[in-house]
Amino acid sequence: MSGSIFTRNRSVPIFIAALTLLALVVTILSEGYGTGALSVSFTKVLGMTLCLCLAALAMDLVWGYCGILSLGHFAFFGLGGYMIGMWLMTARTEAVVRANLGSAVIPPTEAEISTATALQIFSVVGAQDWPWMWAASGSLILSLLLVVLVPGALALVFGWLAFRSRVTGVYLSILTQAMTLALSLYLFQNDTGLRGNNGLSGLQNIPGLETVGQARISIWFFWASALALGLAYIAAAWMVSGKFGNIIRGIRDDEQRVRFLGYRVEGYKLFVFTLTGVLCGIAGALYYPQAGIINPDEIAPIASIYLAVWVAIGGRGRLYGAVIGAAVVSLLSTYFTGGRAPNIDFGFYEIDWVDWWPVLLGLGFVLVTLFAPKGLGGLVDYIVRKDRA
Amino acid sequence: MIRLFLTVLFGACLILAPAPRATAQDADDLQALLQSQAELVADASRRTVQEVLDLLIASDLPEVPAFLARWQAREVYQRDSDGMFFYVAEEGASPLTLIDITSGEPAGTATSREVSQLRPNRGVQTVIATALVQFQLASDDPVDRLAALDAIGSAPEDSHLPILRDLVATETDADVLEVAEVLLPRLVIAFDADDADRVAAIESLAGNVNLAARAALNPLLVTATGVAETLPEGENIARVLEPGSTALPRDVAYAMLVEADLAPPLLPRDAQRDVLAANVVEGRVGGLPVGQLDTEAARDRAYAALFEAGLAEPAPSEAEIDASLASHVFFETYREPSVAVTDAARATLDGIEMRVGLWRVLDLSLDGLSLASIYFLAAIGLAITFGVMGVINMAHGEFIMIGAYTGYVVQTLVPDYTASIAIAIPLAFAVTFAGGVAMERLVIRWLYHRPLETLLATFGISIALQQIVRQIFGTQARPLTPPDWLAGSVAINDVVSISSIRVAIFLLGAVFFVTLWLILNRTRLGLEVRAVTQNPRMAASMGINPDRINMLTFGLGSGIAGIAGVAIGLFAQVVPDLGSNYIVQSFMTVVVGGVGNIFGTLIGAGMIGGLQKFIEWLNPSNTLAAQTYMILFVILFIQFRPRGIIALRGRAAGD
Amino acid sequence: MRKLLLASALSVVTAHAASAEIRVGILHSLTGTMAISETTLRDVMLMLIEQQNAAGGLLGEEIVPVVVDPASDWPLFAERARELLTVHEVDVIFGAWTSVSRKSVLPVIEELNGLMFYPVQYEGEESSRNVFYTGAAPNQQAIPAVDYYLEELGVEVFALLGTDYVYPRTTNRILEQYLLDAGIPQENIFVNYTPFGHSDWSSIVSDVVALGAGGQQVGVISTINGDANVGFYAELAAQGVAADDIPVVAFSVGEEELAGFDTTPLAGHLAAWNYFMSADTPENEAFITAWHEFIGDEARPTNDPMEAHYIGFNMWVQAVEAAGTTDVDAVRDAMYGIEVPNLTGGTAVMLPNHHLTKPVLIGEIRPDGQFDIISQTDPVPGDAWTDFLPESAVLDSDWPGLGCGMYNTETETCVQIESNY
Repeated sequence: MSGSIFTRNRSVPIFIAALTLLALVVTILSEGYGTGALSVSFTKVLGMTLCLCLAALAMDLVWGYCGILSLGHFAFFGLGGYMIGMWLMTARTEAVVRANLGSAVIPPTEAEISTATALQIFSVVGAQDWPWMWAASGSLILSLLLVVLVPGALALVFGWLAFRSRVTGVYLSILTQAMTLALSLYLFQNDTGLRGNNGLSGLQNIPGLETVGQARISIWFFWASALALGLAYIAAAWMVSGKFGNIIRGIRDDEQRVRFLGYRVEGYKLFVFTLTGVLCGIAGALYYPQAGIINPDEIAPIASIYLAVWVAIGGRGRLYGAVIGAAVVSLLSTYFTGGRAPNIDFGFYEIDWVDWWPVLLGLGFVLVTLFAPKGLGGLVDYIVRKDRA
Repeated sequence: MIRLFLTVLFGACLILAPAPRATAQDADDLQALLQSQAELVADASRRTVQEVLDLLIASDLPEVPAFLARWQAREVYQRDSDGMFFYVAEEGASPLTLIDITSGEPAGTATSREVSQLRPNRGVQTVIATALVQFQLASDDPVDRLAALDAIGSAPEDSHLPILRDLVATETDADVLEVAEVLLPRLVIAFDADDADRVAAIESLAGNVNLAARAALNPLLVTATGVAETLPEGENIARVLEPGSTALPRDVAYAMLVEADLAPPLLPRDAQRDVLAANVVEGRVGGLPVGQLDTEAARDRAYAALFEAGLAEPAPSEAEIDASLASHVFFETYREPSVAVTDAARATLDGIEMRVGLWRVLDLSLDGLSLASIYFLAAIGLAITFGVMGVINMAHGEFIMIGAYTGYVVQTLVPDYTASIAIAIPLAFAVTFAGGVAMERLVIRWLYHRPLETLLATFGISIALQQIVRQIFGTQARPLTPPDWLAGSVAINDVVSISSIRVAIFLLGAVFFVTLWLILNRTRLGLEVRAVTQNPRMAASMGINPDRINMLTFGLGSGIAGIAGVAIGLFAQVVPDLGSNYIVQSFMTVVVGGVGNIFGTLIGAGMIGGLQKFIEWLNPSNTLAAQTYMILFVILFIQFRPRGIIALRGRAAGD
Repeated sequence: MRKLLLASALSVVTAHAASAEIRVGILHSLTGTMAISETTLRDVMLMLIEQQNAAGGLLGEEIVPVVVDPASDWPLFAERARELLTVHEVDVIFGAWTSVSRKSVLPVIEELNGLMFYPVQYEGEESSRNVFYTGAAPNQQAIPAVDYYLEELGVEVFALLGTDYVYPRTTNRILEQYLLDAGIPQENIFVNYTPFGHSDWSSIVSDVVALGAGGQQVGVISTINGDANVGFYAELAAQGVAADDIPVVAFSVGEEELAGFDTTPLAGHLAAWNYFMSADTPENEAFITAWHEFIGDEARPTNDPMEAHYIGFNMWVQAVEAAGTTDVDAVRDAMYGIEVPNLTGGTAVMLPNHHLTKPVLIGEIRPDGQFDIISQTDPVPGDAWTDFLPESAVLDSDWPGLGCGMYNTETETCVQIESNY
């Protein structure tokens, strides 16, 4: 089956080859396994960028192919991060607590370890008891399951409610935006139990791998992110190339007509919405251990809008476009706000990239929307077609 | 005038000064007297200043009242070199001209670093004010007498009661009398010896919802919790408490018993662990190897073994705890010994509380209304650009922000606040109208057939505008100050009040609503707008220029956002991301209300604002939760009314 | 092992020989919500570095500032910190404002053995080997302010109002316990949390006013952050709540924040800090003059975190000169006991727990937006672990002595070498 997809969609073999090449180059140049030309921090940036590309890929499926402009997909991304983050924090803290209590005269009971761990985690935000949502945080397997289940369940419930009552277009966009705002406000509260504004931090320290060092861990996460992106790309390409792809494209172009043809439009939309929610959750679970900290600001509405903008800049409805858009915009942002871009001195005025980058970015969005509605991906198409001619 | 005041104070001092004390007679000069207590004067504390004051008043020196008044007003300086106290001729001058505190003559100069200003804190100031009461009440100037009453009100003492009674009997000035008569019952309640008088004073407060009335009554009803074998005689018992009830949980009750040495203490887990750790013998505790003590059951067994061996105290069992609780009585007693007084206070206060409750409902409704009008104001421009035209303008918030900055710029140029607001409002409209028209011409008109892409383009404009404003005005917050007539609040009583600026915002919202409704429904422009939005091609064939109408409508919506910005800036800080705080809420307001209809936006804002206040009232310690639940409600609401409260019907309702 | 050490020592030397300059990383948000507070700190750091270079640099080399923008985005703080340390190879970082940004940076600088100076008053309960805390710990700001309320103003009913994040939560938790210990009953402590940027204060202010119905003096302790203060103080003014009736003491409102609003109605309300611009000392006068000259605006105020950077930077300079190198371990060892004059008089001393001794100042807001200093204590040593919470009362931090920032004095063990994040 996958063989056919490699021939049916020319972008798949090219994409997989490019991704493999990137992974090879990064590994060779990395500090962990290679020459050390690439710093750990840049390896992490690349790994995180791949996760963002994965989220953008999901966004392209739901928006570019199915026509649902969701402004809330970063909520799923964040939830995935929170689910894995709870395990990372609990396991790491518990190890510290065990090591410390282990030296006491009377060996600690499980209850004592649990209480001390909770105190260690929550005293930062003025609490000391385990909130209910941390119940599964002791088990890696359960936490990994939740990475898939929680974003999936939220997407399923929200999607079911929204599509059932035929909320479409702009209304749905605003509603998804409201959803992510509500979730971020909810998480902002300390009473929620996910450490409020502080969020979960120190996630880059993987329990059990304390001795390995970030140089190697960063490469491992880079590989995992690349693998996830590659698999998701193949799966997405396969999905949109068959009959299913035709139907969701039909829904995008004229929902009523597809409905009159006898398809259960709501079912298709719900499936795509939930599936992309899960993809975002997985991307988030890979992203935040590399970022090191997750907090409610991450899922503020603006993050999801950026996701849509990346897809728009990359070009919708062509999978690789989303990946290119996410990679280009987020890497450029990193470059220009990282203090590495040299300032341009006009004599009378010095352009400081840190200050002017958001202006350029914003105007860039406008120009792309106005003059290149097909985005950067459109440019690729143009070049490819030129080659053929 | 000052001399007259000083003479009066001097006279008052002679009449009212209490018998001088022995120590005070040693010093016959104010400076010498102060020097004897220099530390207490320079570093005055509420707890110690009374000593100095007693000494000063007892000295009978004529300049004492003036000194106290100036000390209280922070007009006394101490020279660092020799510790002498002075007044200064002109504050802030350089160098300062020192004035002798007794003679009032210049006594040399000093730079600000050579002297320290004495800054008695508020607590000390209150104590000094109380000391000044006796001088001020005897003053001929009603202003002084009012100041004295004020001082009594903030720190009443039992010695004030007779003075106040005298004042009420002899006072001629109506204003002073009014204040004194309000004050008198409070002092009677607090200090009078006769219970009948106190009960009468309590009953005179019936139905009075003012804070001062409640503040006079509540202290009478302060209770203390106690425990004893039997209910004590002769105490003013408020109620008997049942252990295990919500008023007195079981563990709290038992802790009280332990506290009163009426029962043995419980054995918490960590105390048990400490006992075990203290009894480790050759790696074993109570016969169990230490390594096995990592469960609670094992620790209990080891502890029991220790108890058997006489090495540990027994922990009370559940049955023993119950028995101790059952054999004691828990109760609350009033601090106030008189039953008649507490009964009267309880009855009066209950009546007051009920009224307060009703007023609170009104206050809460006003708060809700005010919040709703703020949401309405933020959303109304959007109701036109998004609701009527269908353009998703993510930069709407930035128009609000630009309006607020316009107000700030005007205020830096025009110092008069009233005039500057009057100029700022039309100017903000003009600026954002122009901005809106420019944006419509340059960007939005190319995207009318691609509504979702308008969202992205306007989002780009939004972040660019924010950053440009940040470049121009800096990241520091800028003040936009309301004129004085908008600074206060409209208060019905101590429970219900609303700030004037909120009233103004409410009125502004109402004016906007009426104006826009009239424009859209009663003018040619409105007719054309509706025609163009419903069917641009048909409208064009009727001789309407859709381009021009779209441009004007978008400009109108943006301009209104600019005016809203001035209003919002008046009560919130003017910062570059001011607008982004309102954008999601504004979209929800429009969607909930129903698109294409400013009446819907009005109802939407009312619903969201009112609901948020209501949820806040249910859970007052957490405002964030209210916002979360409000948004959840909106999401659910849209499921049931996907087209909003007021849904358009027919063709206009098409996607 | 010894060879390895030697090699790494060599590599340090060569790295410095290659760069031939001293790099100071500045990690303050220049965009986003925190830019309002943090850009000033970037400017003050640039000024201090310029001054130091004008005075001949450090160890004969020029100090080069490396400014990056973490954009008020907390994960970016970690990323930028890693970049500063590994790509820009800075010798020290001055940065962060919010607690969450500090917690985000902590694991990175501990892993890479960086050095950071953190200039803001914070909630304590932390002591990292790689951070020097030049702002106030709770016992240097909150506790003295509460004592002032209890002793001087006779406050009996406390309203603890805060923004819903870690600093107010932890501070209020400490204060609540402190008040209970001081004999204030639980029902006289009213706690309320509001979101960042909250603007709808009317009902909360009404609630606070209603606390006066008990006939006891009410006082507000505000840990309200940033923008939200504007609405809060405006509402206080509108409802006519004067400092005489209900005093408000704020821990996050300084000269910079007051510049954003009309302070006339706020006169008499309080703030507790370790520095006020109105402090009348020659050092402060020189600092303010230099600041106004550097920024080119006579109206720009100075504030407490700026003083913290001033102290921190001067301490670091002294420590580098004492150690003769910018190597982190050597500088850290040289830091302990270093003294630098405060701008408000007296000296700041670096303690073994990485905190400073600081005088506590209580100021009353003047109509012109400055503060009247009405009380100034002798320098108070900062306490990393508060004594008022049972679980942290047993903890101690002593890096040179115990080699541990979280030492349990009861079990006499080091709970963890890395810090809590």
